[in-house]
Amino acid sequence: MMMTSLRRSIRPEQIRELILVLVIIALVLFFGTQVEGYYSSRTFTRISTSIAILSVVAVGETLVFLTRNYDLSVGSIVGFTAFFIGTQLSFYKDIPPLVAVLMAVGTGALMGSFNGVLVAYGRVPAIIVTLGTMAIYRAMLVEYPGNKIVQMSALPAWAQEFSRVNVFQVGEFELRLIVGIALAVVIVFQLVLTYLPFGRRLYAIGSNPEAARIAGFPYQRIVFTAFVLSGALAGLAGFMFMGRFGNLTVVAALGMELQAVAAVVVGGTSTMGGVGSAFGTLLGASMIGLLDQSLLRWRLISEFWRDALLGLLILLAVASDRVIVERLRTLWARSELQLRPSIAPVPHKESVHGS
Amino acid sequence: MRKLSTAFAILVMVSMVMALAPAAMAQGPVKATPGQAVKMVLLPKFLGNLVFDQAHEGALEAAKELQNPEPLQFLGPTPQDSVAGQIEIVTNSVTQGVDAIMLSNNAGDQIAPAAKAAREAGVTFVTWDSPIPSAEGEQVFVAQVDFNETGRVMAEMALNILGPEGGKFAVLSASPDAANQNAWIAALKEVLKEPKYSKLELLDIVYGNDISEDSYNQALALVDKYPEMKLIMAPTTIGIAAGAKALQDEGLCGVEGQEPKVVISGLGLPVEMVSYTLNGCAPQFALWSFRDLGYLTYYVTYLLATGAIKGEIGERFEAGRMGVYTIEKDPTREKGLRVLMGPFTIYDKTNVEAEAK
Repeated sequence: MMMTSLRRSIRPEQIRELILVLVIIALVLFFGTQVEGYYSSRTFTRISTSIAILSVVAVGETLVFLTRNYDLSVGSIVGFTAFFIGTQLSFYKDIPPLVAVLMAVGTGALMGSFNGVLVAYGRVPAIIVTLGTMAIYRAMLVEYPGNKIVQMSALPAWAQEFSRVNVFQVGEFELRLIVGIALAVVIVFQLVLTYLPFGRRLYAIGSNPEAARIAGFPYQRIVFTAFVLSGALAGLAGFMFMGRFGNLTVVAALGMELQAVAAVVVGGTSTMGGVGSAFGTLLGASMIGLLDQSLLRWRLISEFWRDALLGLLILLAVASDRVIVERLRTLWARSELQLRPSIAPVPHKESVHGS
Repeated sequence: MRKLSTAFAILVMVSMVMALAPAAMAQGPVKATPGQAVKMVLLPKFLGNLVFDQAHEGALEAAKELQNPEPLQFLGPTPQDSVAGQIEIVTNSVTQGVDAIMLSNNAGDQIAPAAKAAREAGVTFVTWDSPIPSAEGEQVFVAQVDFNETGRVMAEMALNILGPEGGKFAVLSASPDAANQNAWIAALKEVLKEPKYSKLELLDIVYGNDISEDSYNQALALVDKYPEMKLIMAPTTIGIAAGAKALQDEGLCGVEGQEPKVVISGLGLPVEMVSYTLNGCAPQFALWSFRDLGYLTYYVTYLLATGAIKGEIGERFEAGRMGVYTIEKDPTREKGLRVLMGPFTIYDKTNVEAEAK
């Protein structure tokens, strides 16, 4: 009975997130034995700040993934907006912070809407569109007139201080502003996905695009909006990127689209759409960031093996996770089948299962 | 008395003749003939690094002086694609019929076949900033500074910053393939063997690939990995700036009224480093003028391409405002010729602001 009620209240996807949490805890325990002074607020600050920007991008990517699409242009959007805002700020030092943020989000949204129009209304496969815009946006960044390189010393004081600002500090423990922004984004979009009609429609479209279309969902508008939001979040990430790294070169955020896709997939979002969550993506980003930052600090591992090991560990995490979730799904499905015949003839007995 | 003065006069004359003789016997420095058409490509390690933009400006200045009717092409790959991109650009330039390529090599010896093919097609091939290690396919390398000198300057700055007690430090380099980076680090290791620097201990060498994000993370990882480390030495302008930002963000240096725990030094651009030098995060760093390097490289290449010089040891030539240089054997490589520019400027609180303007 207990097992059944457990199965009713928890979905396999949630078990998957739980497993990811357990893997993260296991990794923390392991690296604690390997890296000196690992259990400290400093480690938390390092890892949390290193994944803040990625998490924001990956949440946007999650929205697009849910509709069974891809957005490979996010890395270039982050780079371009970081560059654009950095250049604007170094020319016009009196732009208020909030306006700068809005400019970044707006720029990103504009770039995202271009993707959205082509994918949703132009019916061009997303992978082709965003592969193209990835190159176009990067080229725009390289050719962007005016300042060739953004220098931190040219930025206004608040932008130089941006990455040092804390939301709050308890003793040694600090929560940086960029981490706060990332958490806020995750929470907002988790709520949107769970409670708003728009969020539910993303799942519906991804699970079965044909059915969603026949059911009368505004398919094109929803896919378009997903791309606009993905672009807008990449724009926000671009602003954070500018504040964190200061000196920007044309390779700013190059390859971030792949990290975002990795975070999304590790976080349990299906490449076939319809399954996933913002919270899962945060967990995915956390696991990758944790591995990356910890391996950097692990003395046993040489520079050259780090990337290979990181790739291997991500593969292992995803593969083992897949196997477990598949098992769970079969288990769930089977128990549904076992339940159904008993329910069908005597429907009034259903209350038994609930208790 | 008269005899004496005659003798004196003869002596003076003889000494004058002797002084003049070598100059008269060897040819004077070769001067460039302006106005000849040479299609030239300036190929940096990658685009989007301020130092290469400065080299480009210097080359344009020389192009204007030499009145080359062919415009200078500034072509480069992205950092992520640097090695393959450089090889591709060299190969394409040859098929497009350029006369001369000026390369800051980031591809190690992998570029040698493409460079040799360019030479066989009659293209003048000069390297600057970073040479081809085997010197195959390259006529002359225009060296910014003596590579062994770079090792010494880094050791000297480390000693200045850490004090006579010495201490532990680590190197944050660019990419593991960069010939100049590797030569400098090798030279640094060599210099550290001297008794004067015996108190300096090199803990580790890590690579930030000349990408701000990677260099930032690498700098902080070094701090966590080696709590006893007092200094990061970054012989790359992108690495030193990103590292300084990371140290400052984490309050390891630059906090008012506190002794810095870790500081950074190496090769940096004054305009990027000025705030860190003033707040103590980067008390000292060194560099040469990339503008001059681009200017000199253009002159050398123009002279070679127009046949004014052949690229042989001992040839002397005049490079516009920078004066006379000699082609010599490159002592830092087994083979290869070089033109040595030099020298280093060391920046600290006293001179960084003036230079950054």
